[in-house]
Amino acid sequence: ILQGDLGPFNPGLPVEVPVWLAINLKQRQKCRLIPPEWMDVAKLEEIREQERKEDTFTPMPSPYYMELTKLLLNYASDNIPKADEIRTLVKDTWDTRVAKLRLSADSFVRQQEAHAKLDNLTLMEINTTGTFLTQALDHMYKLRTNLQPGESSHSQDF
Amino acid sequence: MFISDCRREFYDVIVSQRVLLLVASDVDALCACKILQALFQCDHVQYTLVPVSGWQELETAFLEHKDQIKLLVKQDDDLGVPAYDDIFRDDEDEEEDSENESEGSEPSEKRRRFEEDIIERTMKRRQRREWEARRREILFDYEQYEYHGTSSAMVMFDLAWIMSKDLNDMLWWAIVGLTDQWIQDKITQMKYVTDIGILQRHVSRHNHRNEDEENSLSIDCMRIAFEYDLRLALYQHWSLYESLCNTSYTSASLKLWSVQGQKRLQEFLADMGLPLKQVKQKFNSMDMSLKENLREMIEESANKFGMKDLRVQTFSIHFGFKNKFSASDIVYATASLMENIEKEGPETTNFIKALDSLSRGNLDKLHQGLALAKKQLRAIQQTVASCICTNLVISQGPFLYCSLMEGTPDVKLFSKPVSLCLLSKYLLKSFVCSTKNKRCKLLPLIMAAPMDVEQGTVIMVGIPPETESSDKKNFFGRAFEKAADSTNSRTLHNHFDMSIIELKTEDRSKFLDALISLLS
Repeated sequence: ILQGDLGPFNPGLPVEVPVWLAINLKQRQKCRLIPPEWMDVAKLEEIREQERKEDTFTPMPSPYYMELTKLLLNYASDNIPKADEIRTLVKDTWDTRVAKLRLSADSFVRQQEAHAKLDNLTLMEINTTGTFLTQALDHMYKLRTNLQPGESSHSQDF
Repeated sequence: MFISDCRREFYDVIVSQRVLLLVASDVDALCACKILQALFQCDHVQYTLVPVSGWQELETAFLEHKDQIKLLVKQDDDLGVPAYDDIFRDDEDEEEDSENESEGSEPSEKRRRFEEDIIERTMKRRQRREWEARRREILFDYEQYEYHGTSSAMVMFDLAWIMSKDLNDMLWWAIVGLTDQWIQDKITQMKYVTDIGILQRHVSRHNHRNEDEENSLSIDCMRIAFEYDLRLALYQHWSLYESLCNTSYTSASLKLWSVQGQKRLQEFLADMGLPLKQVKQKFNSMDMSLKENLREMIEESANKFGMKDLRVQTFSIHFGFKNKFSASDIVYATASLMENIEKEGPETTNFIKALDSLSRGNLDKLHQGLALAKKQLRAIQQTVASCICTNLVISQGPFLYCSLMEGTPDVKLFSKPVSLCLLSKYLLKSFVCSTKNKRCKLLPLIMAAPMDVEQGTVIMVGIPPETESSDKKNFFGRAFEKAADSTNSRTLHNHFDMSIIELKTEDRSKFLDALISLLS
């Protein structure tokens, strides 16, 4: 059980709170949400261009950029200027990154690498490909061990 | 209990308690309920929702929860309440002045005092008699006519506004509540326009953000806009042709039940330059060039054909790319959902479905409601046409009477009060346009339809006459009661609206005779 103190809450003055509380208060019409400073059309355009240029992953403004965007645009789009454009920009950046991730996973499996290192990935992206990648690797391992003749007489179940 | 300060005497009291909400089966009541629910959710108030469709259900629900009820506030549309003091005089000291104990004072003084006492007492008695007479008069006036005051949804919105907790969503529900009153012809045109003005101010306050480069609002955000829109039911979700045929105003003015009427409709369309093929298509698929100045074009042509009020002030809501609804659309859809004759589960599912359809997230229910509404409007127009063509509306002297036979198509739809009322109003409007008898045009209408074939009951509705300056006051409530008493008819005056009753089919004729003699 988490415990903590928040506040003080003074009307008209901005206060930092955890996201869950912000969303709850917003749903109860008790506050107005201020978007993070990276949630801005110009900044996001820059980030998207950067991501498209590089082959590797560029650092994202927040390790939870996708989650935050989704939450804020769902519940507080009236507090975010140009919300529609922001949604498109973030989605574009996400698509580019996931495409890179897919390419990288594909070459990893193909070339039967033992380990890989990817910088600047966020948890959400990792989880998106995570299950698939590990299952693919499991299958590859299964296939490979079955190819070795006579090594092991009993097959292993995964 | 009558409340003057909504906030202090009502909301602040209940906000810390567990609340029981008894809601009538009426679109206005549903909207008021939604607003209250939203307020309760913001303030974490626990509540139980019980739909009631009449006095009996109100009583049952009350008795069920009796032990926990401390304060009962009934949302009533029938206002026009006379001043509190005129009716309820707090127990005045009626004590006679105690006899002054004679303390051995002079007899003359005692006598004088005694006389003064008598004079005082007679004065009081006379005052009291006058007061009683006035009270009886006021009560008689109050109970004689039934009419509607401000929409309860608007009252709830006012409460929210006073507490600065009002939202665009609540404003929309208030608008729908008001539009419901207008569609059901419960308020005068003046009142409607005044209330629209009040709501218009709120709408500009909430929706004034201009679409400038800096701060454009997401397309998914809800916007309300004021519109001077066409008075054609559901026209944006139907075809223009269907809408013209199934809206009572156009159907009655053009007399669409007759062959000449159909011809006039064609002339009307030709006058506007709208090809028949276009007009019979779904409205959204009509050519853009035709839709551009549609409202002005229709208004101009309508004036030539005697329809001066084809446009009406109203509001529309807009969210997402394809969701645009006018207030009257929502009213028709919600009412049809609520009175859906197809039973899907326990009694209250229709009510809950209708309540849900008012939230923006439940578009599928709304669309279902729109489909049902189209069916209902078509059924109403066909029934009206057949009643007029077969002269089913007969004058009984002080009122017009029309009774739907059992085998009539769609008659089951009209076993519900709101649908029957809507049918009656449309029928009266059309009848007034169709008859040449000047006297008949000023008569009120009583409409009867079979309610439950097995139990042999009939539902009867009385509506006031259709005149330009009608104040929409309905005296049938009392009239029905008196007639039922005098003939010992087995009637059920269950509905909150006293001019809707149920009675046994066998008692119908004697009941009507009693009414005729009562009202002549």
